[in-house]
Amino acid sequence: MLLRNLLNSPQAHRRSIIGQLESVVGKDGVVRRKDELLTYECDGITGYRQRPALVVLPRTTEQVAAVVKICHENEIPWVARGAGTGLSGGALPLENGVLIVTARMKQILEVDLENQRVVVQPGVINNWVTQAVSGAGFYYAPDPSSQIICSIGGNVAENSGGVHCLKYGVTTNHVLGLKLVIPDGSIIDVGGPVQEMPGYDLTGLFVGSEGTLGIATEITLRILKVPESICVLLADFTSIEAAGQSVADIISAGMIPAGMEIMDNLSINAVEDVVATGCYPRDADSILLVELDGLAVEVEANKKRVAEICKSNGARSLTSASDAETRFKLWKGRKAAFAAAGKVSPNYFVQDGVIPRTQLVQVLQEINRLSEQYGYRVANVFHAGDGNLHPLILYDNKVDGAWHEVEELGGEILKLCVKAGGSLSGEHGIGVDKNCYMPEMFNEVDLETMQYIRSCFNPKGLANPSKVFPTPRTCGEAANAKKMEEFKEAELF
Amino acid sequence: MTIQLSALLSTDAEIIPFSKVDSSWRETVEQATVSDTPPSYLIFPHTQDALGKVVEYANENQLAILPCGNGSKLNWGGLVKNPQLVISTQRLNRIIAHAVGDLTITVEAGVTLQQLHSVLQPHSQFLPIDPAYPDKATLGGIMATADTGSWRQRYSGVRDMVLGLSFVRYDGKIAKGGGRVVKNVAGYDMMRLFTGSYGTLGIISEMTFRLYPIPEASQTLLLTGKADSIYNLAKSLRQSGVTPTAAEILSTSLVESLGNREEMGLLLRFQSISESISEQIRQVKELAQPENCHSQIYSDLDEIKIWQQLQVSNNNSDLICKIGILPSESILFLTKLNEFGIGIVNLSSGLGKISIKKEGLKELRSLCQSHQGFLAILEAAKPIKQNIDPWGYNGNALEIMQKLKQKFDPNQIFSPNRLFV
Repeated sequence: MLLRNLLNSPQAHRRSIIGQLESVVGKDGVVRRKDELLTYECDGITGYRQRPALVVLPRTTEQVAAVVKICHENEIPWVARGAGTGLSGGALPLENGVLIVTARMKQILEVDLENQRVVVQPGVINNWVTQAVSGAGFYYAPDPSSQIICSIGGNVAENSGGVHCLKYGVTTNHVLGLKLVIPDGSIIDVGGPVQEMPGYDLTGLFVGSEGTLGIATEITLRILKVPESICVLLADFTSIEAAGQSVADIISAGMIPAGMEIMDNLSINAVEDVVATGCYPRDADSILLVELDGLAVEVEANKKRVAEICKSNGARSLTSASDAETRFKLWKGRKAAFAAAGKVSPNYFVQDGVIPRTQLVQVLQEINRLSEQYGYRVANVFHAGDGNLHPLILYDNKVDGAWHEVEELGGEILKLCVKAGGSLSGEHGIGVDKNCYMPEMFNEVDLETMQYIRSCFNPKGLANPSKVFPTPRTCGEAANAKKMEEFKEAELF
Repeated sequence: MTIQLSALLSTDAEIIPFSKVDSSWRETVEQATVSDTPPSYLIFPHTQDALGKVVEYANENQLAILPCGNGSKLNWGGLVKNPQLVISTQRLNRIIAHAVGDLTITVEAGVTLQQLHSVLQPHSQFLPIDPAYPDKATLGGIMATADTGSWRQRYSGVRDMVLGLSFVRYDGKIAKGGGRVVKNVAGYDMMRLFTGSYGTLGIISEMTFRLYPIPEASQTLLLTGKADSIYNLAKSLRQSGVTPTAAEILSTSLVESLGNREEMGLLLRFQSISESISEQIRQVKELAQPENCHSQIYSDLDEIKIWQQLQVSNNNSDLICKIGILPSESILFLTKLNEFGIGIVNLSSGLGKISIKKEGLKELRSLCQSHQGFLAILEAAKPIKQNIDPWGYNGNALEIMQKLKQKFDPNQIFSPNRLFV
């Protein structure tokens, strides 16, 4: 058998695989030089690094299918990668695996304004979708902070959110249909421009499956009409409790703002140091940003109500902006918060826990306690409206053992979120970063049931192995890991 | 065949020999199944654990199950073959936790929508689902059939409202997915997999929903006009800034049956603060002006009544179907529909419900399919469903769906033949 012979001579096999891949995507579509491969060794979470054996850059669905088929036939594990901005290590490559990068799949294939649908390739940048339809008064709602660089394919894999998901939902609420290459290399279409087709909702199942069920090669998105009026309010408080209470009061008054964000003093100062918006008072304990949208009369009425609520909770000052330029300025600091953390500290590690909104104050106190206990500063920025916390742990990777401690602190924060009735991840995904904590949230039966799904799509376990679910190899005994189907470890590369 | 359920005697469930169940249950089950012999038992587990025990027993003895809630939609879709046990979640009707400040609620599957709303109302909250048979439907059944109505316009489908779920697997074990918070991407999305799965993968036992505040005020606007006018108006509405919470395009036949003129209709519900409602109605009327549409406003009880009248029933027809079509083609569809029955199509999603004579089935299905949609038969006489595939799925993902079914239900005990024959 050809395969056996090749396995006996790894070098020849590597050459053969490269040849097969090049015949699909062309010579310039396969990256194999070690120094070039380094570019791909990590995604947005740089604590995890691994150089892939090969990188492949397909352009079409058919090319993706052919590449996946080669992997399937040769038992080569593979990982899909979009723009590489993910924050859970979902696109972390495998030493002996192929990394399929969608960077050359950047076409907007169809814009159907009348039906408010857009079809894109996975490498299209999130922001481009809005740019393509904004002239006609539409936009694409999910807006992760990385929206100017992250890809729609990655958004689909991770079910990304953003600052506007309080009112409009996350990626899965806006994906209508997908063309998928599943791990045996076949192509299927799920969902479509019309939702709720008969049969199982495989679109809903696929979004957020973190590259373990296949690769989406065409994505049909729903676009929304830009609201008649938009207003951003900025309130600053002398305590995080007051900011948190304002959020609770706004919700219980029956309002659903487009977004509500809180930043604490450390993040405010980090942002002011770096972006210097001059908007956020450096001495504030916390700031609350509220974006209201809808009909002008609604926005005007709610603006007054939100302002009253903030004042009654002791807001020191209130700023509001309705014009695009000032709104952008007010948001700029929040959107740059992660980058700013990276400037004020040599390294930072962002977490993504979710808690029931009403537990906010209590959980923040616990986070502060943990921060003191471990001796690392933690800056808090969060989507307060939906209880999605992003604690940024500041550290210096050059200090021996720091990363390990930071991981542990991050883990403690996640456990805290789950204990409060929340979740391990609101929008960044589980990836390699949080898979060992899955047993905190799901028991053995739950995890085993999820494997039913994985084994249907991905029976050989070649698509993004070791991600999402705990494995004995990565999590050890302590994580109460469930043994799962692993790909056969062929010594290929 | 006589089945001995003695092993289940100590289970916390009421077990009724099917020969002794009342006629309405018998009729409901008869309409939903194709059987050589009737089922042996109707079982009402009182706890989720008891439900698990019954399912475990059924699996070990390879007894086919027809899962249901109150059975209001049990006759929808494909006919279930030879079920031996009918298992109802009706008695699993506890409200487990209402997190008022977090706008979420966790309930058992047998809680009815009506029961839920009586809990939510005092807190000015609601679950924006408006399904068929709202007085009888259980939340488990609503999720299993993905059934909601006109509120899709603003609040989207059932799939977007379920935050977490527990279900009983084929082996009787209870598995869960999701959680109790509004934002959560940990693990696979079991909620969406189960929404619309028609009791074929397991039995839903518990769910967490996201809730919404009840808007301050509400008013409904009916516009009627010629097909071209309604087309233009629908198009400009989709591109306008108005935000109706419910929006349906009505076939001429339906508008007429409501006692209005013989024209196509557009029914829009606005729910917000009252200033916003007046403003939106003003804007819509302005858009409608060049189209020469007739308009009428409904408030209070009249408003409730007009939406209730939209519940498409099978009076004078052979079938009730759920359809989907590109929204831009909905007028074309409704014009053709007029020859065969009545119906509505949602303004922005293109999903609709129709009640038709059987002669129209093939033509309407192919019309939907040629515009990237579908036509699925919900209610019809059994011979119709036996002659034509109720679902009309024509995609290329059947194999993977069947694999999922096989994995979740290796002995084919859950609703055999419901989705796949």
